[in-house]
Amino acid sequence: MKPDLKLILSVGSPLLLLIVWQAVTAFKLFPPEVLVSPTAVIAAFGEVITTGELQRHLSESLTRLAGGFTTGASLGLLFGLALALSKTVERVFGPTFQALRQVPVLAFIPMLILLLGIDEVFKIVIIAKAAFFPVALAAYDSVKGVPKSYFEVSSLYRAPWWVLISKILIPATIPNILAGVRLSLTRSWLVLVAAELIVADSGLGQMMEMGRQMFRLDIVMVGVIVAGVIGFALDRLFQLLQAHALRWKTA
Amino acid sequence: MDYVPHSQIPGHKIKQTGAVSLKGIKKQFNFKDRELKVLSEFSLDVQPGEFVSIVGPSGCGKSTLLRLIAGLDDTYDGTIALDGQRVAGTSLERGLVFQDHRLFPWMTLEDNIALALTNRQISKDAKAKLVADHIALVGLKGFEKAFPHQLSGGMAQRAAIARSLVNEPKVLLLDEPFGALDALTRVHLQGELQRIWLAQGSTMIMITHDVEEALYLGDRVVVMQANPGRITHTVDVNLPHPRDRASPVLHKLKDEILAELTNVPEPSNPIVRLIKGDDQ
Ligand SMILES: Nc1ncnc2c1ncn2[C@@H]1O[C@H](COP(=O)(O)OP(=O)(O)O)[C@@H](O)[C@H]1O
Ligand SMILES: [Mg+2]
Repeated sequence: MKPDLKLILSVGSPLLLLIVWQAVTAFKLFPPEVLVSPTAVIAAFGEVITTGELQRHLSESLTRLAGGFTTGASLGLLFGLALALSKTVERVFGPTFQALRQVPVLAFIPMLILLLGIDEVFKIVIIAKAAFFPVALAAYDSVKGVPKSYFEVSSLYRAPWWVLISKILIPATIPNILAGVRLSLTRSWLVLVAAELIVADSGLGQMMEMGRQMFRLDIVMVGVIVAGVIGFALDRLFQLLQAHALRWKTA
Repeated sequence: MDYVPHSQIPGHKIKQTGAVSLKGIKKQFNFKDRELKVLSEFSLDVQPGEFVSIVGPSGCGKSTLLRLIAGLDDTYDGTIALDGQRVAGTSLERGLVFQDHRLFPWMTLEDNIALALTNRQISKDAKAKLVADHIALVGLKGFEKAFPHQLSGGMAQRAAIARSLVNEPKVLLLDEPFGALDALTRVHLQGELQRIWLAQGSTMIMITHDVEEALYLGDRVVVMQANPGRITHTVDVNLPHPRDRASPVLHKLKDEILAELTNVPEPSNPIVRLIKGDDQ
């Protein structure tokens, strides 16, 4: 009974939104230059798919995401681990790290444009920056948070260092690190679309920006929906990965 | 009743190794700019295969003492020796069971126990057999693949005991191993520990706050006092194992020890001194 109700609600709420949206446009509560109707958006969808425009922009965006996110998350992981494990690294980079992570990614855009121009490198760097901090912070916190008792048990049984790392430290920290990676993945996507809206010659954000300039609000809406669906799907996929890695918790 | 050395008790394996010698142990913690003297001139000799219980008020340094013997802490004065060899750092010859089971939540029971064997140069099969034997020893057959959160408190503590015994240590140190368990489980596990000790014959030093438990299991009960932690009294329990909990001898000894533990003047506490003024 209960799961059925949940299903009805989770399918029903977007459906309701769609109906309201259609009704609002049908009664022309807003001028069509401001709010297009769902049917117009569906038509635009068909259009950008048949021309191949959507696929092209989307694959550009996803390639960028993959490059920037992988770079940023790996560097973040290494940096976070170094920060947690080395007193020297912590003393030298700790304060800078704590200060820099408080600056919104988008605030770096003007500076980075001056430095790197608006080429591909710029976009990769901006996404990497967005991916870097959540992972670095999660890695740092989770290593710092490993209970002393784990080290004591390992020492009691004189476990070799590779056993300490592979069987104790990694499993102990992986839940928090994965949570950090997941956060950084969705952040990277948001930042990417935003960055493409401002400066890009291709990508989903750029497709939306062009739509806006040509008063094609239906195409802008297609972009909004695709951005949302992709973000949602990335997050869900990662959640599955997390659940798989942590299956001992629910076994 | 005459003293029956534990090594002559029928069924108890005779062991030649596992003599623990503590001489003039002094331990202090430097806390901010204050020195906290935790142990002072603590000396104790434990015979091979002997079961020694230690009771004492909380904070008197019992856990600190076991951590020193286990080698988790190396900063102290005095000597700790196992079979005449001064201990340095941790060793597979000295096992330690904590009050909390300290099993790793992401490992199955058998993986948790196998972790204790990662430093042993023996074949995979030999390791698997040791793990299986010790799971059977603590009565957990059938739970090899269970995760710690699927075990009851008592079962998890048994698993912890199996892990600490899998290297067949010469001495097993137990720090309030049943302290967190309910009364029934505790009584049950006391019996189990006694059976394991009789079967294994390793030296055991157990800390407990339960005087009855100390007397039921120990060949000797060491009574400690705090500030600084020291031995005030040692009680020989001259009864064969396994023991009858209802034995009048145990009850008499229990009353004695309890009286000593609860009726100690506390010079450091003026209020207690005032209240107890008449007795002194
Ligand atoms: N790492 C530590 N640093 C400072 N003080 C400690 C530390 N460990 C224990 N102590 C202090 O030493 C005393 C004895 O502690 P402990 O050995 O745990 O007592 P017990 O096990 O008998 O209850 C306590 O006063 C405790 O606060
Ligand atoms: Mg203690």
